[in-house]
Order: sequence, then C-alpha cells, then structure tokens
Amino acid sequence: MTALIDMRDIVKVYPNGVVANDGVDFSVERGEIHALVGENGAGKTTLMKILYRMEQPSGGEIMLDGKPQHYRSSHDAIAAGIGMVHQNFMLVPSFTVAQNIVLGQEPSRRGFIDANEAVRATEELAKQYGLRVDANAVVDSISVGMRQRVEILKTLFRGARVLILDEPTAVLTPQETQELFQAVRALVKQGKTVIFITHKLREVKEISDRVTVMRGGKVMGTIATSEATREGLARMMVGRDVLLTVDKPPHQRGEAVMKVKNLSYVAETGRALLRDVSFNVYAGEVLGVAGVEGNGQTELAEVLSGLRPAAGGTATINGASILNKEPREVRLAGAAHIPEDRLTNGVALKASIDENLIVDRYFGTPFKRGVSIDYKAVKQQGKQLMQEFDIRAPHGQVTVSSLSGGNMQKVIVAREFTSHPAVLIAAQPTRGIDVGATEFVRQMLVRKRTEGIAVLLVSADLAEVMSLSDRIIVMYEGQLTGVFPDAASVAEEELGLYMLGLKRQDPKAMEARL
Amino acid sequence: MKNFFASPLWREFARIVAAVLAALLLGFIITLFVSDDPVGAYRAFLLGPLTRLNRFGDWIEESITLIFVGLAVALVFKAEQFSLGAEGQLLLGALVSGSIALFVPLPAFIRIPLALLGAVVAGFLWGVIPGYLKAYLGANEIVSTLMLNAIALKIYDFLLTYHIKPPNAGYTASETFTADGILPNFIPPLPFLADIRKLFVQQTNITVALYIMIIATLVVYFIMYRTPFGYELRMVGANIKFARYGGIDTKKVILLTMAVSGIFAGLAGAHLSMGIHTKLILNISLGLGFEGIVVSLLARNNPLGVPFAGLAYGYLRAGADIMERSSDVSREMVLVIQAIIILLVTAERIWPLAQTRLAARRAEQEQAPAAPAASH
Repeated sequence: MTALIDMRDIVKVYPNGVVANDGVDFSVERGEIHALVGENGAGKTTLMKILYRMEQPSGGEIMLDGKPQHYRSSHDAIAAGIGMVHQNFMLVPSFTVAQNIVLGQEPSRRGFIDANEAVRATEELAKQYGLRVDANAVVDSISVGMRQRVEILKTLFRGARVLILDEPTAVLTPQETQELFQAVRALVKQGKTVIFITHKLREVKEISDRVTVMRGGKVMGTIATSEATREGLARMMVGRDVLLTVDKPPHQRGEAVMKVKNLSYVAETGRALLRDVSFNVYAGEVLGVAGVEGNGQTELAEVLSGLRPAAGGTATINGASILNKEPREVRLAGAAHIPEDRLTNGVALKASIDENLIVDRYFGTPFKRGVSIDYKAVKQQGKQLMQEFDIRAPHGQVTVSSLSGGNMQKVIVAREFTSHPAVLIAAQPTRGIDVGATEFVRQMLVRKRTEGIAVLLVSADLAEVMSLSDRIIVMYEGQLTGVFPDAASVAEEELGLYMLGLKRQDPKAMEARL
Repeated sequence: MKNFFASPLWREFARIVAAVLAALLLGFIITLFVSDDPVGAYRAFLLGPLTRLNRFGDWIEESITLIFVGLAVALVFKAEQFSLGAEGQLLLGALVSGSIALFVPLPAFIRIPLALLGAVVAGFLWGVIPGYLKAYLGANEIVSTLMLNAIALKIYDFLLTYHIKPPNAGYTASETFTADGILPNFIPPLPFLADIRKLFVQQTNITVALYIMIIATLVVYFIMYRTPFGYELRMVGANIKFARYGGIDTKKVILLTMAVSGIFAGLAGAHLSMGIHTKLILNISLGLGFEGIVVSLLARNNPLGVPFAGLAYGYLRAGADIMERSSDVSREMVLVIQAIIILLVTAERIWPLAQTRLAARRAEQEQAPAAPAASH
C-alpha cells in the first residue's frame, strides 16, 4: 500500500539564497501521528508550508495517495484534504467561534448567512471529535486552549484528512496539553492523520507513532517512536551529545536583592494587567514566574526593567527604587534584562555585533576615551564575548540581522550577563532558539545564579521554569496565585491548577513565603 | 586585495556608476527627441561646467552649499528622523550671518567668525524647536519642520524688506557687504600665488567655505562614528526601541540630532550670503534645503560620501544650467533628465533585488547546501 503523503526530493531555496530544504524525502502513513522534530531553522516549518502550499518548492514532487499533486495554492491543498494549524492562530477575534469555523464557507439560506446552521454544524463537529468549544462565544474571550481547538475544527470543517499542527503545545498549560493529546488520539481513531511539529522531545515520546528528525534542511532519519530515546533524538537533531537536564548545584540563598511590593500596572487600554504583585528575589536563587502566556508576565518584566510605567507599588534593587525610572537608571541600579521580544528590544538588526554589545556601557570605561568612543576596545570586547559565548559569525563587524535566532540570543545573553548585574530579569530566554543554544543559555543562567546573582526567570515553558528555578511564583490574570518555596517538590499538574486560576493560596500564606 | 571586487564598497560604487550611465543614456535619448542639435546640447550638459573658469566656479560654489545641506540631512536621516527643516535653518543662517556682516562694525578677523557663529547658532536653535516638539510632545517632524520652514521664510522676507533693505532702494536686497563681511577667497594671499588668486577672485566666488566644508565633513563623520552621541544617534536610527531598552535617552538624542543638523544647514546659509551673493537677496535659497535630501540619499547618509555626492549633483545642476542657456533644450526637459538620473541612482532596491534573484538562481542550479541560518 502506498503512503498517504510522499514528498520526494523537496528543495526550497529562498530568494536570499538560504537553502531551507535540501533534497528532503518525507512520507506519512494513513492514520498515524507523525512527529517532525528539529532545531529552529532545520526546515520543518518550511517543509510543512510546502505541503500546505504556503510556499512553492524549488524542486521535488509531492504524492498524495500515490498520485502526484500539482496544486498551486493553499486553496488546492485544503481541497486535497490537508489542513494546517499555525503557531500563531489565525482567527478573527471579534467573531464567534461558529463564525470563525465557517468563515469562507458559510452555510447560507436565501442568500443570507444561516447563523443557526453554523452553530449547529460547529456543535456537531465538536461532538464528533471530542473537541470542547462554545460555539456562541466570541473568540476574544476564550482561552488559548479553546482557540486552538477552534483552529483544529476549522480545518476539519474544510474536510481535512491530514492535520499539520505547528508547535501546538507552546502556548498550553499541562492540562490543556493533555486535553490536546486526547483529542489528537481521538482524531486518529476516526481515520485522520496528524503531523505534529515540535522540539519538545518528551512530547514526541508521548504522542507520536513515528518521528522524523531534520537538521540543516535535511532529513536525518525516520524511526518508530518506540525505538527512539530522547538522548538519541537530541543527538540526531544537534549532531552531538546534548545535556537535557541542567546540572544545578545546591544554592546559597543570600540577601533579598530585588523587592517588589504591591506592584500594579494599567495598560493604555485601561485594563489592569498587574494587580498587587509582591515578591522578593534573593541573591543566588532563580525565582521562576510560571503562568499561561498573557497573564501579566510580559508586563511584569517590562515594568521592572523600566520599559513600561507602573501604576502603583514599589520596586527596589538593593534599596534603590527602580519604578518609573528610565532604563539607564534601572540598569545602573543593577538590573540586566533579557527581553522577551528579541527583535524589537534586544538587538538593533542593522547594527553590528560589536555595537549591539556596548549599548549599556559605551559611556563608561574602557570604551569612552575623552570625547570619543575607543573602537579598538569595542572590537576587542566583541571578539572576546563572541568567543566566550560561542556567537558564530565571521567577525564582530557583521550586522546582527545576518545571525540565526540562537546566535542573536547569544549576543543579548553575552551583553546582559557581562554587565555585572545584581538582578537578571530573563524573559523567555530560550524561546525559539535551538536545542544547542537553549542548553547553553540555561547553563549560563544557572551558573550566574550560583555565582550569587538574583535571577528572575519568566518563561512560558513550564518544564524550563521547573528545572531551572529554586522557587516558583505563579501568575494568573495579573495576580499571584501561588508561591512555591521549593521548586523541586512541586508537581506539574499542581502548578497547572494555579496557572488556570482554579486554585489560589491564601494571601497571608503567600506573603510568608516571599 | 583579491576580495576587493566582492566588497560592499566596490559593489556600491559599481552600482552607482552603472545607474549613472544608464540614466545618461536615457537622458540622451530624450534629448534626441527634443533638440535639433542633440549632440551639442548634450555636450554642453556633460562638459559645460569644465569649459570656463567661471562655470567651474559656479559648480564648486553650488556644490559647497549642497554638501553643507547634505551633511545636515545625513545627520537627521541617520537617526531616522525625517526632518525637512534644513531649508528654514539655511534661511535663518543666511539672515543672521548676513546681518552681522552688514551691521556689526568689527574688523574682518572678528566679524567673519562671529557671523559664521551666528549662522551656526541660528541653525541650531531652529532645530531645537522641531526636536523638542517631536521628542517630548510627539509632533510629527515632517509636518513641524515644513511649517517652520514657512515661518523662517516669512521672517527672512519681512526683515529683509522692512529693515535690512536700504530705505530708498528700488530693489529688495541688502547693500553689498564690505570686504570685512565677505568670506575671503580660498587661495591664500601669498606673493607666489598672486596671479592665480587674482584669476579666481575675478571669475569665481570659491571662498574659504571650501575648507570649512571639508572640516565640517570630517566633523560630522567624527560625531557620527566616533563619539558617544554619534553611537546613540545611530542606534536610535537602527532601532529606537533597542536604544531605549539599552538605556539611551532617546528623547534627548532626537532633540540634539535635529539641533546639531541645523548647524550645517546654517553654515550653508552663511556660505550663500557671505560667499556667493555677498548680500542678502529675496529667494536666496529656492529649495536648496530640499536638494540636501537628494545629496544625502545619494551618499546613503554617509558623511564621507556627501562631498562626492554633492560634487556630482552640483555638476549635474551646473551642467543643466549651461545646457539650458546654450541650447534649444528647455529647462523642463533638463529637469526631467536630472530627475531620471536621481531616480535611477537612488532606487535602492533595484540592485539588491537583481542580486538576490541571481543568487537564488545560482543556488538552485547548483543545489549547493548553504548554511540554513534563518529560514522561516
């Protein structure tokens, strides 16, 4: 029997000359859950976009049910039964769930959209596949997990036989992830085929039947998941042995370096995104902030680093107030900040690596000499940091725009780690970077903490928060719902309940653990 | 030097030469249609500025103005501030320096530096206003600078007409400055240079502004690429959010950038009043401030490129003037040709586009595995 999908010798060259897929063979059997893993830039998303025809391949052919396909657009791909759920959801926020699902193929009666029929079709579909949604809810008001289910239903409504899920668990809580996995299994039982893009190896083991590993635009191999180990998969992805767990020496907790009390923040829209948040960060510890994305963590990091104004409360570093101060003052008080949005805040793409590395120190020794900047010292530092932090580029004068995501992050990490901070605010420090760079950044974070720096870690990757932190606080809708003084003894599911706001600790009890 | 032809500098140079050649060819084709003597007309255009000393002088004088204004624009554009205020700053620079040259009874060696200083201060202050409006009140700098240009023009016209012009003169212009208020010729008054100096004094107005311009170019380069302020300015231009995140006081940088830019536009004004015209006249600028944008774009906002761009653009303008005067090609057609050249040279995207196409095709043919750096 022929495979359901057979992609042969796929080549994709982008106009800028980057070869994203280099002779890729990829086949998927009917009714399987096929994991596609690889580092960032390995070409997985490109391959799937080619299958979904969001990208035109430069060469190669695609067979569906043994028949070569010549479709030209996503429209044709959808007609052939292929559906894709993207990393960033593509829903109309002001429409209801049902309206989103039927969008473009609305059931009509006498030329008008039949709203009741849309709701009925949505509910029937949801029931059939066990994907719980509220057909009449406005998308704006529903949870991330439900939005994802809406996306999946949308593709099913269009008759998808094959579902491509692009890093679907990145935005989910553990509970939601489990729910998603159940739904995926139910889909397969009803004859659907699922391609699951991820770089979380744990999930590969848990959900998939077979796994294909990509590296550098090529397929390194396809194996049955039962025969694969996490270490083996990691080695295939990176090309060398990778430490999956961070070795964390026992920590020596020191003084409270950063003290945050009753912090609140109100967005320009008038919504209160931080409400009465209080915590301390001690020297020599990693304080992890867990929470589903969009519950105020982003704002917390940006308020504390001077990028956003606070509405109330206090925050100090070693006694000096840092609220509503310009970033320069906050930095001079002892803060360093790995920003969540790398391309917007963390680097100037058009400037060189060297220049990106001095933005917080060009005015001090050894860079300022008389009225001018000593560019020899700038170059010298660039060379040294590139070596120390393994930033891969020909030299420090190339622009940051030419670097891969992982190397860009290393530029930021190199700058922020070498500014002699008292507190390091790390927001999503490993988001979107590859396994090798992730390993490196995590090790550096732990090393700095062991050296006695106070680290505030904000991450949507719960596994990361749990493995790096000494203590964990959980945020839900701009408030703290829990403080866990011993990160090692907390169960993931337990944290999940606090992340969803289903459980809350007593405020007094929390205060005692700050 | 084996990598020279692959270096960006060389490619940039080749790109400009190719664009100029293409534009000149296109210009000639147009001339063929509108002139009975296309070869003669085009020769006047291409070689005109070199045929006589006074024409040569016109070219250099005009270029000096363009270079000053080009430097002013390069500064603000490098910081991604689209200030169009050079015109107003230039007018006030001319007004203040001209007034000092006329009315301050001091010897030349004090009066001239004082007049230049006046132009610098006027330009600086006329940049502080839109800078403050943009940085602290969020006023769009394009709108505010255009408005301020109009105000500067009216101030200039008003003071010239009602206060500076001799009361009974039948024309609207100041009296010609005395030698104590005119920039000296660029050739020093040394005995062995006397003959050549006399020639240049008689036929041209190339003054010490030439040297000031060269120094100004180096100063702008130094500011932009060697000082902390220049670093701040470039980071604000490269990514203002990054600059702020990194601790740079972006508001101060925006304000200062517009003000410092005014210094050089002010000097352009002093060059016009105390060098070229040696008096204050109506319509002393006629949009020269805007020509600075062209010069700066040609130079890719690089101060060291500005003199070359200024000389090239000045040559084009001088040649066009001569073509207009000495052939049957009308001013309008001359402007069309000029515009085509500028268009082709500044069309930033044509060349990179062609290159990526070529690179993609090559990679496709060889299917060579390249580093799959940043793909999706």
